[in-house]
Amino acid sequence: MRKVLLILAVIFAVIGILFTVLPMGTIAFLPLGVAVILSVIAIIKSVDKQKNFPKWVLIVSIVAVLVVAGKQLFIKDKVAVDQQFKKEKIEKQQEAKKDLEGLE
Amino acid sequence: MRKSLIIILTLFVVYGQSFAQIRPNEKLVYAASYNMSGLMTQLAQVSMETSILRTTKKSYLHLSLSAETFSKWDSFFKIRDLYESYVNPVTLKPSLYNRSIYEGGYYKTEKYIFNLDGKSINSTAQVKRFPISKQVVRIGANSVDAVTLIYKLRTVNFNALRVGQVLPMIMIFDDKEFKVYIKYLGVQTISTSVFGRKTCFKLSISANSNKLKGRDRNLIWMTDDARKVPVLIQFSIPVGTGELKLVSER
Repeated sequence: MRKVLLILAVIFAVIGILFTVLPMGTIAFLPLGVAVILSVIAIIKSVDKQKNFPKWVLIVSIVAVLVVAGKQLFIKDKVAVDQQFKKEKIEKQQEAKKDLEGLE
Repeated sequence: MRKSLIIILTLFVVYGQSFAQIRPNEKLVYAASYNMSGLMTQLAQVSMETSILRTTKKSYLHLSLSAETFSKWDSFFKIRDLYESYVNPVTLKPSLYNRSIYEGGYYKTEKYIFNLDGKSINSTAQVKRFPISKQVVRIGANSVDAVTLIYKLRTVNFNALRVGQVLPMIMIFDDKEFKVYIKYLGVQTISTSVFGRKTCFKLSISANSNKLKGRDRNLIWMTDDARKVPVLIQFSIPVGTGELKLVSER
């Protein structure tokens, strides 16, 4: 039982860390939340000598939760300045002007 | 004769309030979020802009709608979409429609020139590097492109409608005409980041196509004032659900 809990906690923690690195936003809370819960249960189910590993899984998961929360609070979503897209818009407008003059 | 007169009068009351409420040099910016496992994740910025384009003989209202993914998403799934329409500034009758989309490696351009007869468009389209396809598509007298439809919606006098009343509109998209049904769901006060708490017209949009899903799951809240600014849009499409929230306006 303890082993199953630990394996699942590690899997969810890894998924959570991946989501933290990727721009998945708050969705990373889901696997990380599960990892935290499972690692806490694993700590409870472990004897004193075996508590070290689940504690590390818990610590890593909590750090990842804090990173996700920090990213959400302090990093504002921005659109890159895309010169090519800007140029395309201008060209489309010039082309449209020609087409409209052809219609008149 | 009497029936026709009633229809004309109804249309005048509903659509004829004032076309002038779509002003030039307006810019509305939205944050688009997509529902991933029950959590809304911000994906892109959508901008709706208006300006005047002057040719040698006429002036057109240029309606533009662009979507760009936030930079954090660009490496994974880059979106650079541009939809624009050139319309009569008073009647909002479209003359030209452009669509240029780039979505994660897929790109397509499309152009409709609305012919003066009002019954057809010259459509030019190209998908990726495939050959350009040109065709003349027959359309109804009241058919409009997707961008014009959004702006036309803002000219409707919702105060003249009953709650639950449905307004049909015809949209041309991908060279096909679709019937779009706008259902007026009454007024609702909602919290917005730009206007604070605001009373809005609540509308449900459905279409006789598989592009929109569910009943009353595609909703728009527009401010209950002369400008009718769309402040919140919730959508349900075959690949999921999401929303657009107004984040700035000019």
